[in-house]
Amino acid sequence: MLRILRKLAEDRAALVGLILILALIAAAILAPLLSTHPGDVTEFHTARRLSPPGPENWLGTDRMGSDIYSRLLFGARITLTIAVTAIAVAVLIGVPMGLIAGYYEGFGSNLLMRVSDIFLAVPQIVLAIAIAQTLGPSIENVILALSATYWPFWARLVYAETRSIKNEPFVEAAIALGCSPFRVMVLHILPSISSSIIVRTTIGMGGTILTAATLGFLGLGPPPPTPEWGRTIAESREFLPMAWWYAAFPGLAIFLVVMGFNLLGDGLRDVLDPRLRRAARHGK
Amino acid sequence: MREESGRATAGLRRRDVLRAGAAGAAIGTAGLPGLAQAQAQAQAQGRGRIAFANGSAFDTMDPHATFDVGRVAYRLNLYDGLMRWLDNPPKIEPWLAESYTVSEDGKRYVFKLRQGVKFHDGSDLTADDVVYSMERILSIGKPVTALFTPLMDRGSTKALDRYTVEFNLKSASAIFIATLHDLYVVNSALVKRNERNGDWGQEWLSRNDAGSGSYVLQRFDPARGFLARRYNQHFLGPAGLEEIDFRYVAEVNSRVLGLIRGDFQGTDPYMPQDQIARLQADPNMNVMEAESTRLFYATFHHQRPPFTDLNFRKAVSHCFDYDGWINNILGGSVVRNTQVIPNPMWGAPKDVAGYTYDIDKAKWYLQRVQVPLREITVAGMIGYEQSMQAAALLQNGLARAGVQSKLLNEPFPVVSNKFRDPAQMYDMLFLWRSTYYADPHNWAGEMLHSNRRGNGNNGYYSNPEVDRLLDQALATPDQARRAPLYEQVARIAAEDAAALCVHNGKWYGPFRKNVQGVRFCPIGDGQEMRWLRIT
Repeated sequence: MLRILRKLAEDRAALVGLILILALIAAAILAPLLSTHPGDVTEFHTARRLSPPGPENWLGTDRMGSDIYSRLLFGARITLTIAVTAIAVAVLIGVPMGLIAGYYEGFGSNLLMRVSDIFLAVPQIVLAIAIAQTLGPSIENVILALSATYWPFWARLVYAETRSIKNEPFVEAAIALGCSPFRVMVLHILPSISSSIIVRTTIGMGGTILTAATLGFLGLGPPPPTPEWGRTIAESREFLPMAWWYAAFPGLAIFLVVMGFNLLGDGLRDVLDPRLRRAARHGK
Repeated sequence: MREESGRATAGLRRRDVLRAGAAGAAIGTAGLPGLAQAQAQAQAQGRGRIAFANGSAFDTMDPHATFDVGRVAYRLNLYDGLMRWLDNPPKIEPWLAESYTVSEDGKRYVFKLRQGVKFHDGSDLTADDVVYSMERILSIGKPVTALFTPLMDRGSTKALDRYTVEFNLKSASAIFIATLHDLYVVNSALVKRNERNGDWGQEWLSRNDAGSGSYVLQRFDPARGFLARRYNQHFLGPAGLEEIDFRYVAEVNSRVLGLIRGDFQGTDPYMPQDQIARLQADPNMNVMEAESTRLFYATFHHQRPPFTDLNFRKAVSHCFDYDGWINNILGGSVVRNTQVIPNPMWGAPKDVAGYTYDIDKAKWYLQRVQVPLREITVAGMIGYEQSMQAAALLQNGLARAGVQSKLLNEPFPVVSNKFRDPAQMYDMLFLWRSTYYADPHNWAGEMLHSNRRGNGNNGYYSNPEVDRLLDQALATPDQARRAPLYEQVARIAAEDAAALCVHNGKWYGPFRKNVQGVRFCPIGDGQEMRWLRIT
């Protein structure tokens, strides 16, 4: 762990990513303390609507006079909740499915992978829109829509990785020693492919946040007055370019968070993926 | 017309009928103000084109399929009606009609049609076309059907000769003439040729033109809009512009930027007041401004608890920040309207104080609600920023009063489908009641009468006393005697919290400076293009 952190610290881009993500987590946890107008998550002050950034409202106010800075902080909670839960569910579905399909051969294995192929054949955003539209706008439905569309990525990845190492001597040795298939999969194969899963998960977080914001932008995310970033940008369109801050700051927040996860994911891949490390050494 | 024609009538006084006839006869010379001048200029210039950015999608070209202001452009420009509302304050003028008479009992109307009117395919417009159009409206079950169904039965309209039509009403109606603006006459022979399985040509007419209006449809694509070219044989003479191009542009910013850049020469005014102010500041823009009659309100679902409880409706009525809405969000551009009839309209009572934003009062009423409270749904319409913002503002007030609510924004086609089904209709919905005919009945009657439930009365409100007063008002020909009846209805509705009345809007017509001749009328929102010219 320390080795990983040390390696990450040497990679400036990854370090920036890590800092951005830590800032997101801090913003989400400390939102009530950091926000200047905590009540503005639900309260409106029409008299000061569309005020530009200033000492009273650091990032300006929105169409109802609510403080954008405070709403962004509370919005981080929603963003993080959606992304973490959706990815966790996707991992919990995709990883076992990939492991089982990769370890066993035959009709069942093929069936599992063909199902994931069907999901992958439809563009994720289209599928997510269809699910969210059918179920109605809410945080739970966004999570469901994202989980249902993202699990095949992990299933595919784990399937391929499992296939590639299931004939390795250490796996064969475990089987020869009489380990049950469950034990082989969970204690021998899974740890060996965990770095790929971690990297995919980190990078996937960025994509999930972007898709969640897209759903929010389209009005399929959590309903108002929830301070969801994507919907805030959608609301701001009507007031551009006069109230530029209304769209700019939520947009910037999404940009930084997605970039943070991508940078960290790239850094983790460089650190964790032994093939990449080897390739880098040989390159030298 | 028989013995009744020379006497005072039930629907209108004799001099009104004669005046109408005289106006009709004068059309084509000087009957319609500015017409001769516009015609002369059109003929002199010969060309001119307007690209108009419309925020509502044109999903059909059937003139009887829609009944909203957002899609009024094709109805007004491709089709003619027997009568037409013009100018502001609106006046109803004979259009395809030359004159009409009304029987003593106010139930029989006989219209003389203008002769020589040609449809776009060159065929004559006759009484048979008028009869067919009315039968079609009564048969296809669209929103406009509800306007005429209470007035007459199918098969009651007759062509007395080639240019004479007789309407036989079930009972006298003071608004029949006013509603004839919406009897758009279609080319019956052409539509009949394209009927499929008794569909009254609905499939065909949804994409084709069978009108006699000032413009002929050239191209229609629901995703893009419609393009129409001047009809030089129009009975009023050629229109001022050679081509009108109505484009569907959903995004407000795209409409505004397109207008500023000169890609469009006009757009509809359904945008936040901030964007109107932005256009007003642009030296190339001419943002016309006029007092209008367009009520902004929210429905209550009167058949669904807790809205069945008057105390709950009153509590909700006290949760809306009217001053913040009018003065801050809309920048004082509209006027508070405390009851259902727009203030400038006759029949609107001046003594209704209305509800104020008062959370303490709301809580007081909530304590007296007899039915169980629950989370309510407040809906807005996607694409109509004011509707969505008002819903959000109300939600804020409701939260302060302790009423749980959730917001739901849906596009107008979805919303309008829910009107007709009380099970699907929202608990509350913010929307406008536009002017379809300049008469207090357009608001009080359409929004409150129980026979309009699901068709104007979207809150499914029902009050026998209101129904009785409205029926009495309809059967009364004299405006002076009708006015107090509508005032009484409006007072009862306010006390009954029949709807959450918010404001009466102004009309803003954003056009580029080189667009001249716009004739605003609250009915149609100034989208009749024949008067326009480009300088």
